[in-house]
Amino acid sequence: MKRKYLIILLVIILISCKKEKGCTDPTAINYNSQAEENNGSCKYNLEINFTHTVNNSPLELNQMIYTNAAGEDYSVQTLKYLISNITLKGPSINDSIIYNVHFVNIIDSSTFIINIPNLPNKTYTGISFTMGLDSLNNQTELFINESFFPSFAWPDFLGGGYHYMQLEGDFITPFQGYATHTGPTNGNNYSFLVETNFEENILENNRIIINMEINNWYAPNIINFTINGIMDDELTQNQLRNNGNNVFSISLE
Amino acid sequence: MIMTKNTCLLLIMITLFGCRKEDDYECNPTPFNPTPYTIATPPGFPDMIIPEDNPMTVEGIMLGEKLFNDNILSGDETVSCASCHIKTAGFSDTNQFSIGINGLAGDRNASTIINAGWNNQFNWDGSARNLEEQAFEPIRNPIEMNNTWENVEMKLNTHAEYPTLFKNAFNIDYIDSIHIVKAIAQFERTLISVNSRYDQYLRGEIQLTPSELNGFAIFNSEKGDCFHCHGTQMFTDNLFHNNGLDTEPFNDWGLGNITNNPLDNAKFKSPTLRNIEFSKPYMHDGRFNSLEEVVEHYNSGGNFSSTVDPLMKKLGVGLQLTNEEKQDLIAFLKTLSDPDFLDK
Ligand code: HEC
Ligand code: HEC
Repeated sequence: MKRKYLIILLVIILISCKKEKGCTDPTAINYNSQAEENNGSCKYNLEINFTHTVNNSPLELNQMIYTNAAGEDYSVQTLKYLISNITLKGPSINDSIIYNVHFVNIIDSSTFIINIPNLPNKTYTGISFTMGLDSLNNQTELFINESFFPSFAWPDFLGGGYHYMQLEGDFITPFQGYATHTGPTNGNNYSFLVETNFEENILENNRIIINMEINNWYAPNIINFTINGIMDDELTQNQLRNNGNNVFSISLE
Repeated sequence: MIMTKNTCLLLIMITLFGCRKEDDYECNPTPFNPTPYTIATPPGFPDMIIPEDNPMTVEGIMLGEKLFNDNILSGDETVSCASCHIKTAGFSDTNQFSIGINGLAGDRNASTIINAGWNNQFNWDGSARNLEEQAFEPIRNPIEMNNTWENVEMKLNTHAEYPTLFKNAFNIDYIDSIHIVKAIAQFERTLISVNSRYDQYLRGEIQLTPSELNGFAIFNSEKGDCFHCHGTQMFTDNLFHNNGLDTEPFNDWGLGNITNNPLDNAKFKSPTLRNIEFSKPYMHDGRFNSLEEVVEHYNSGGNFSSTVDPLMKKLGVGLQLTNEEKQDLIAFLKTLSDPDFLDK
């Protein structure tokens, strides 16, 4: 009888004497200060921030202080947009979507941040996302319970699905509205991919910053605010998509 | 003696506990067993917003309907919710300003109550966040029902039927304001209109006339651009806008009164356009008496002001619809009438 207990005790002691294994990186979310040996279990949080500028200065709402490439003065009252298929890339990982669809609303700063929890310890050197929704995602039923329904719905009559962006304000005079609404005009896909690669591992930084330079929507293809009502206008949607290539910049901080 | 008394007490306690644990039936003469009521989400609608602390039951809904129609809620028992929210008018009022108690009138047109369970902001200015909160207000409002909650509670608790109905719906022995508004809200969530000719058309059951179809196209394209604020099968974006009714200074600050943000002045909730044919007069102050006048307002482009919505894109220019197009747009709006809902 006594011997049996002794053996159990011994086993317990042995187990506790073994070198403690765990995550030894203090910047990881599951850092184990007791661990002496790294077992590769470290997990990391990644924060993505959305920022908005006009001519490289932070956006100021409701101020008639901006001028587009067509020479029209304008203000910004509304800015809402959808970012989808956020994907991290790296030498040893298959591209996998880490975030499906995110809605940014300029009057709600809680929408400026996404937290991606529990990323495994890998080398991530690139990030990509879709501005708007690709054809696969652009179906009304898919997001009917999201906060951006119903106001972001795109009528079936004009192709169905969702707006990609609603950028609105006044131009020329403080009372004349413009509405830069992009989306799946006539069922076409005008969403586009934005991608950036880095030399370093993204995880070694605190956050990824995705900036929208608003004025770049309106050049090099000159978009004129006097042409208003562009949701059925394939030419303008195409021009906005092409201008979109210079709208986003991604940096690490 | 002492022993027996204690044993007895113990025994009683054990029986009580045991009873409670096992079954409600034996201790409780009227078991609380309300019938759950499920709302089937209609096509094109999101899931309804139902507060966790007020699940829908058949008993709750029937009680809510009775309260909604009962003058007992008003100070002198002359006015009910239904006095101003009339079923055949889409649960709104045909008067510009509803006449409440003592013949007094307010300065807003009574809202419709149609598919309200999918909204999360109530009254023209969004002053209430859910239907429960909304129902607190009219009872106390001096020009609506001019009552106090103490008085309402007193009357209902001494009433011949209400105590049993509340017991069956909520398992309460004392009727309080919280359960009164819960019952009313449950009833309001059942006011669902999804069987208009337009819905039947979407389901492929009927065909619309060429005029109605042309109106549908105007509504849903940049030509009329009604869909931005009255879009989807709900025919509202559940947001607030200034649709160019007035120039400054504004009479009614609307949302601005609630948020204290001057940029919100004269913004009002986009109402659903379902059953719009029967809910005249129109706008927060009931200024328009016909759909012709409403369409004329939008066709004119609306008035300039500092908070007018950028989506009122044709300010000063107007939509420039022809007479025929205006008629087509109105014909389409009338396809949103739902005779089942309106009891017509
Ligand atoms: C004297 C007329 C009157 C009475 C009685 C009345 N209401 Fe109203 N109701 C109104 C008016 C006017 C509004 C619009 C108020 C505003 O926006 O300021 C309104 C708004 C509402 C709304 C908001 C709908 C929406 O979608 O925003 C609901 C819900 C409602 N009432 C329910 C009730 C209930 C429940 C009762 C009874 C407890 C009631 N009302 C009694 C006149 C009345
Ligand atoms: C910028 C957003 C916006 C646009 C665009 C818009 N509406 Fe409205 N509509 C509103 C708002 C907000 C109200 C309530 C305004 C108020 O009462 O002050 C309203 C009210 C109405 C009403 C009266 C509803 C009621 O119950 O009293 C009708 C009818 C209507 N709109 C039809 C239309 C039609 C038809 C079009 C297109 C030609 C259109 N609207 C375009 C925002 C809009």
